[in-house]
Amino acid sequence: MRQFWIILRYELFSLFISSGTYVATFYFLSLLAIGFRFFIESFVYTDWILPPLSSLVVGLLFGSPALIPFITMRSFSEERRLGTLETLISTPISNSMVVVGKWCACYLFFLLIVLLAFGYPFILSILFPVQGQNLGFNEREIWIGNALFISMFGASFTSIGIFASSLTKNQMVAGMLTFTILTLYISCMAYLFGRNFSYDKNDFLDILYLSINSTMNGLNKLEQFAVGLIDISTVLHQFTITIFCIVLTTIQINRIHR
Amino acid sequence: MSAENKPLPIIEVLNLKKKYGSINALNGISFSIGKGEIVGFLGPNGAGKSTTLKILSGLIPADSGEAKVCGVDLAEEEGQVRNHIGYLAENNPLPEDLRVIEYLKFRALLKGLEGSRLRERTKVVLEICDLERKISERKIGNLSKGFRQRVGIADALLNEPRLVILDEPTIGLDPQQSAITRKMMERLRGEVSFLLSSHILSEVEACCDRMIILSHGQIVAEGSLYNLQERFVDKTIFEIVALGDKINIQKKVRQIDSSCELLHDDPVETSGKRRFIFATSNRDNKAEDIVKSLVEEPNLRIYEFQITRPDLETIFLRATKENWERSESKNRNMLT
Repeated sequence: MRQFWIILRYELFSLFISSGTYVATFYFLSLLAIGFRFFIESFVYTDWILPPLSSLVVGLLFGSPALIPFITMRSFSEERRLGTLETLISTPISNSMVVVGKWCACYLFFLLIVLLAFGYPFILSILFPVQGQNLGFNEREIWIGNALFISMFGASFTSIGIFASSLTKNQMVAGMLTFTILTLYISCMAYLFGRNFSYDKNDFLDILYLSINSTMNGLNKLEQFAVGLIDISTVLHQFTITIFCIVLTTIQINRIHR
Repeated sequence: MSAENKPLPIIEVLNLKKKYGSINALNGISFSIGKGEIVGFLGPNGAGKSTTLKILSGLIPADSGEAKVCGVDLAEEEGQVRNHIGYLAENNPLPEDLRVIEYLKFRALLKGLEGSRLRERTKVVLEICDLERKISERKIGNLSKGFRQRVGIADALLNEPRLVILDEPTIGLDPQQSAITRKMMERLRGEVSFLLSSHILSEVEACCDRMIILSHGQIVAEGSLYNLQERFVDKTIFEIVALGDKINIQKKVRQIDSSCELLHDDPVETSGKRRFIFATSNRDNKAEDIVKSLVEEPNLRIYEFQITRPDLETIFLRATKENWERSESKNRNMLT
């Protein structure tokens, strides 16, 4: 466990000294702030049924394919390119500990960005308490539900990024791969959002479609999380994806050195 | 020392095999290395040197065979061996963004060092590798190859290992930096065992107690330089720089040692002197008699006389040649 903390600290340090991460974070948060500002200004004229705070979560979720690659792409691909992965595993540390340590560092960095993004409504509610109250910024369950939702998706997205990074020595390829997988994932969720369909339980295709729908309907569940209702199936689903990708990454790292 | 009191070897390898797809990287090699020994691993590219070093470092598993490093059985506790060894990978990969001291502290933590011990060991390795003062504060990316290599060796020595495995430690270094690396090993001679692979034969010749020559995944020769010279080179070479008639010199030498043959002679600059190279298969050393006879000859002036020992390169080429030819003919047969 001690080595996990060492890797975590080292990876966080590497993220904090990387100029690329700062640039990506700055642009991402700036665009998010602009988007959030315009959304809040025009909120009363929209058909938005969720609490305004959820707009920030949607922004973070849809912006993730652009942000996550910058956080995760260097973790393994850069080590593989330089050859430092071999030096790293020549110490008494297990491969799985290296993977978990690196993933945790990326995830914590993502959570830091989420925290900074949540700073916008927080500052707004402090500077303009009445307007903040009207927008629901004073309701704790809304904060918890939204934060939990984006944290869960952040965990699975960063694990996908870590896995993509372990597949190649080229940072750019790792980044593009993460972008593609996350874009596809979010596109599927967006496509299935709000769709209800009748199915025939004897039709294999219908059953297949239903099972895909039930695993890719994360955005539908935002309606529940947004008001503070925790859907355990979504939590488990994201947890499973995270663990699955971490295991795949560990297998890949083991495979490289066989 | 009695057999019971004899210390256990640091490395014991028995019939080690490793395959990459259809290619046999190691064809059942066996050897052992004692405490405090410096052993050089030699071999042409693709001979299996790095594979062996990686297996012994616990980085990759062997397909079959037995290997014990510092008493740890690699088949059972592959990861455990990393607690006892220091490893310098080929090309010495290092992170560019970190400072030397930051990197060494990170590595020390990974190797289980803490608190005062961490500080003490970091200080010791910086001193051994001559990386103190300003160098330790510099970013690794800004260091020259020689200093980077020293950082890699300092890292390998951090946890006071009983065995240090160095994969091509002097590759790409200038002679001065290579000498510093050699000096570091000399300083730790007896305390730590070293197993190093190298292509630079003069390096191995200069600092190793013993050599293991590998070719096509097999050990083709093993022993000290003297043992290898005895085994692979059956001739003694004399080199004479003299001013005088070639036939006269040849005659004089052959009077003492009839088996002595003149291999070739070259002029030395424009001085009129010539360098004569003789080879003899006679095992009795008659060099003294030859010198006496040449000095006494009034028509000759001798400037230099030396017995040239066959270097490791000659031994290496002879040791690997046979195996190389055998493997080539096997490949040809397979193709036809």
